[in-house]
Amino acid sequence: MREYEYHAPQSFESLFRLASADGVEVRFLAGGTDLMPRISAERNQIPYDKKPRMRIVYLGALGLDNVTEEGERITIGACCTLSSLLENEVVKTKLPVLRDALAEMAGVSIRNTATIGGNIMNASPAADSVPPLLALDAECTLRSASGERRVFLSEYFTGPGKTVAKPDEVLVSIAVKPGRGGSSFKKLGRRKAETLSMVNAAAYLELRDGICESIRVAVGSAAPTVVRCIDVEQALVGKKINEEVVREASLLVTKAISPIDDIRSSAWYRVRVAPTVVARAVLTAAERKRG
Amino acid sequence: MSQILKFYLNGNPVQVAAGDADTLLDVLREGLGFTSPKCGCNHGDCGACTVILNGYSVKSCTVLALTAEGKNVCTVDGLADGDKLHPVQRAFHEYGAPQCGYCTPGMVMAAVSFLNRNPSPTEDEVKEALSGNLCRCGGYKKYVQAVMATARGEFGPLPEGSVGNV
Repeated sequence: MREYEYHAPQSFESLFRLASADGVEVRFLAGGTDLMPRISAERNQIPYDKKPRMRIVYLGALGLDNVTEEGERITIGACCTLSSLLENEVVKTKLPVLRDALAEMAGVSIRNTATIGGNIMNASPAADSVPPLLALDAECTLRSASGERRVFLSEYFTGPGKTVAKPDEVLVSIAVKPGRGGSSFKKLGRRKAETLSMVNAAAYLELRDGICESIRVAVGSAAPTVVRCIDVEQALVGKKINEEVVREASLLVTKAISPIDDIRSSAWYRVRVAPTVVARAVLTAAERKRG
Repeated sequence: MSQILKFYLNGNPVQVAAGDADTLLDVLREGLGFTSPKCGCNHGDCGACTVILNGYSVKSCTVLALTAEGKNVCTVDGLADGDKLHPVQRAFHEYGAPQCGYCTPGMVMAAVSFLNRNPSPTEDEVKEALSGNLCRCGGYKKYVQAVMATARGEFGPLPEGSVGNV
């Protein structure tokens, strides 16, 4: 069995010292709901694979669990648990699309542990927090020993489980501007609660006199990463928003996706159901904007 | 490797050697002999290992043990006040909710944590709150009825400041 070592650094200095080690696999631990089952499975596997020692670096002691508001910009600490965000007043009142998603993620006991940064860094194509954040054009802040850099979430994911973050970079926060538009998240799972998405979608749109002025649509669990649906967006800009227009435009989501068969659903089904999920998200967002 | 882990278990300070990659469930069951949390799936899906950590229900198989340093952990063993069962325990008993009983400790902890936060829930809210706890006997209906009965006060008021809501 490979060896494991656990550290809970109290400062970024010691964190980066721990992160820049050779010959060990460094894994950052936030809530642990994705990482711990993976580690337990690996430890119970026979025969054991020969793997380098794993250095588990806990991020929970670094104070990354706040939501702050600066002008229009809302910054969410990467280690905020999903439950804490659900209860957060700023999220409740200003980020309904994120709230929608949080309320449908896993179940209570997982939400009490899991963090939003972990959901992003796990980089699952089915991550429910990602479509809302993409629809809000979120920006991630990565920190390493050499400083900070900001990356738009739209350029963050490079494949299933893969991001642009380098091994010694830590996701510290996610920033969004709520904007004046309406937004919504819809998810289709195999059951109502505690389920993974077969397809999920989020939409943000700004309306003037019923005409769509600006829109962002993101769909998840239907491609190697969560993707923006540029074709759907372009088909709706400048149009008067009604059910027929949205349903027709939503069919274009198939241009953005390339789903696979997996344990949750089939590619066949996902292609057919994705337009409906997208249409629901867009229509609810428009509804909310109209009030 | 292992390290010394200190935390509060059901209100009492405990010290135990914990492996660097051990889960809280491993330490509770094997290190401390508290076998009420069960290892059903070891994957965060089934909820049989649910305990209350600093007032919030968590699946202890997804929590790295050493992150619990200094925190309060409550298992079903810590709910009763002497011989007096917690209202949720009484409700499960009176309603005959447990069948084989394997999911029951986790179900109790999820329900207690939920009721501490939402003492007068709707039935849908209860179902959502227990959705992360699987009962392979299929006894969901009675669990939900029992939690609703507890919320109505049929089994007395929820104890304030109990170990469950530290």
